[in-house]
Amino acid sequence: MADKLLTIEHLKKSYGDNLILKDFNLTVNRGEVVVIIGPSGCGKSTLLRCINGLEEIQGGEIKLYGEKIDRNKKNIAEIRQKIGMVFQSYELFPHKTVLQNIILAPIKVQKRSKSDVIKEAEYLLEKVGLSDKRDVYPRQLSGGQKQRVAIVRALCMHPEIMLFDEVTAALDPEMVREVLDTILELAKQGRTMIVVTHEMSFARAVSDRVLFLDKGEIIEEDIPEKIFDNPKTERARRFFHTFEYDAVKNHTDTLNRKV
Amino acid sequence: MKKFKRIFAVLTAVMMIVAVAAGCSDTSSNAYNTSKKTVYRTLDEIKESGTVKIGVFSDKNPFGYVDENGEYQGYDVYFAKRLAKDLGVKAEYVSTEAANRIEYLQTGKVDIILANFTVTDERKEEVDFALPYMSVSLGVVSPDKKVIKSLNDIKDGDEVIVISGTTAETYLTENHPDIKLKKFDAYAQAKTALENGEGAAWANDNTEVIAYALQNKGYTVGIPSLGSKDTIAPAVSKGNKTLLNWINNEIKALGKEKFFHKNYEKTLADTYGKDYEEQLVVESGKVKK
Amino acid sequence: MQALGIDVLLKGNNFIRLIDGLCTALRISLVSVIFSIVFGIVFGIVMTYKNTVIRVVSRVYLEIVRIMPQMVLLFIVFFGTTRMFGLNLDAELASIIVFTFWGTAEMGDLVRGAVSNIPKHQYESSYALGLNKAQTYFYIVIPQTLRRLIPLSINLVTRMIKTTSLVMMIGVVEALKVTQQIIEANRMTAPNAAFGLYLTVFILYFLACWPISLLASYLEKKWSA
Repeated sequence: MADKLLTIEHLKKSYGDNLILKDFNLTVNRGEVVVIIGPSGCGKSTLLRCINGLEEIQGGEIKLYGEKIDRNKKNIAEIRQKIGMVFQSYELFPHKTVLQNIILAPIKVQKRSKSDVIKEAEYLLEKVGLSDKRDVYPRQLSGGQKQRVAIVRALCMHPEIMLFDEVTAALDPEMVREVLDTILELAKQGRTMIVVTHEMSFARAVSDRVLFLDKGEIIEEDIPEKIFDNPKTERARRFFHTFEYDAVKNHTDTLNRKV
Repeated sequence: MKKFKRIFAVLTAVMMIVAVAAGCSDTSSNAYNTSKKTVYRTLDEIKESGTVKIGVFSDKNPFGYVDENGEYQGYDVYFAKRLAKDLGVKAEYVSTEAANRIEYLQTGKVDIILANFTVTDERKEEVDFALPYMSVSLGVVSPDKKVIKSLNDIKDGDEVIVISGTTAETYLTENHPDIKLKKFDAYAQAKTALENGEGAAWANDNTEVIAYALQNKGYTVGIPSLGSKDTIAPAVSKGNKTLLNWINNEIKALGKEKFFHKNYEKTLADTYGKDYEEQLVVESGKVKK
Repeated sequence: MQALGIDVLLKGNNFIRLIDGLCTALRISLVSVIFSIVFGIVFGIVMTYKNTVIRVVSRVYLEIVRIMPQMVLLFIVFFGTTRMFGLNLDAELASIIVFTFWGTAEMGDLVRGAVSNIPKHQYESSYALGLNKAQTYFYIVIPQTLRRLIPLSINLVTRMIKTTSLVMMIGVVEALKVTQQIIEANRMTAPNAAFGLYLTVFILYFLACWPISLLASYLEKKWSA
């Protein structure tokens, strides 16, 4: 039987009168990669923030291995250590070097030995191809490099689950690839992840399961092949259509004729 | 100054409220009140402590100033030294400003103020003055070639130089509205104006004009004393009877040895010359009319 | 030399007295600045809390400091405490209290500004790493705030040093007061000494402040490299 890592039951989240998530249910098994897609404002980022206890929730329960996630409880900082989160805007600490960014929490929060943590950080940096950036400050990095450091920083805490919140949305196109490759590599290692993204082909490649979210509800949920190639709902079909374009020019073979 | 006092009063009230809120007023103010301690130190308490705290000016040459060795000097300080000696204690000088002399006495941070402190009715409400040891009034200085010896010497068309905001300006405006005034904002401007002959005479505090005539050849103080005389006296905290009486007796006793004349010759003669000694010095606390 | 009044400075202990006065001024302002920075950081962070009571109290405090001339504060602390509680504060201590009271308000306001300028996401990414609130402030918020504060607090130090001349009102003899004393003591023999003396004081102040601003620009460069 599948090993239930994260369970969300009847989650309700609103900002004042604005209901973002209504009666949301989700179970993520160990080793599973769940990709969440949907139009902006559908509640996908809010969902990740709720899972990490960054938002007050108005109803329902979120549990990690049966332990309730409640941002007002004392153990929230402990639970958060088991959840790695990577933000769209990287949010590296600007006053610390790359290495210092990575080793801060493992040393100060998990009280691990400094030399072990540094060894691990160096190993992870090498894997994402940033060994030479060990001692530079974040402002000297490109967006893609920053995002890879942010991923390493989260990984170094040995989280049970990783949350990726539109991590390529702020990147120049040529940097998207290097970040997504890093995430693909994590998927290969069998890590549990929830990925919010707009990169459809990446979603198809990385995921075990895709959720299509709209107005705070799961409209469709399926394996990637089915949901992308054969969406059951009209809403999903329309959404996927926004990523395709019909040609407006009639292409004849003019370019070849010259040869 | 009035406004300043109002702000101060309001703030004291605010601080009181804060203190009450903090709950610390209970202990401290009660302790303060029940012990019925006065702010000032009595004569015996001063003698017992071995030092008398005297507030003097540190930058008003020749009354109270500090010399190049860091020692207090001047007419006020000369007297202060004698007071301490006759009390049989050491003198501790506190540098005061014109604006804080009353505060120092009212909070008992000094025992005596000897800082060119002019006696006024307003100040008598706040502190107790002892007998005077000096007297000042207004004076008029004019060029040697045409000395103004009385206000009657000023002819129509003549102007008298004054500095705006001084007692001289107020006195002449109120008592001799017929005299035309030429007003300046600063000492230096008034000085230049007199030297350029822009006025027939210059009216100011008599100590100022006397010192001026002494330093500048060709000028004479024709009227050394004009208007009402102001006296300068030591002051103590209101109600400090024992110290006040002692100082008064001391001043009377010092009259026998002509102490303040000696003091004048030592400290003021360089600035004001010997001619005005009788004008300025008050001996035994008796002001000559 | 005579025209500038420099010779007056060389008489007796005059120069030593001037240096002594300068040390008093620097001691008061530096001690006050150190306390102001420490208390200001705490006060500034407290001010970022959205609690009504805290807001009202800090508003009142800031307004008092803003409206009240420093001289009035000096009088209140030096004379007022004696009137009300019979406390007899040392004049220099009273000065430090007043300057710290003033500096804490200014620093607090600067800190509040700097703290609220730190993006919400910095807190969140720190929380997401499992740091608690105290650790987040200690390792993430305060270090970033301090870096933003350096140029602003140097400005405060300079203004404080300038304002120390007010402490003569409660009997503290600092550099400017010594200067006035020297000028007055020699007003007969060297009536034009004022210019030279003030020039000297200016140079002394400059020499004292120079290392401070050097340190500041060194730190600024180091942290932005």
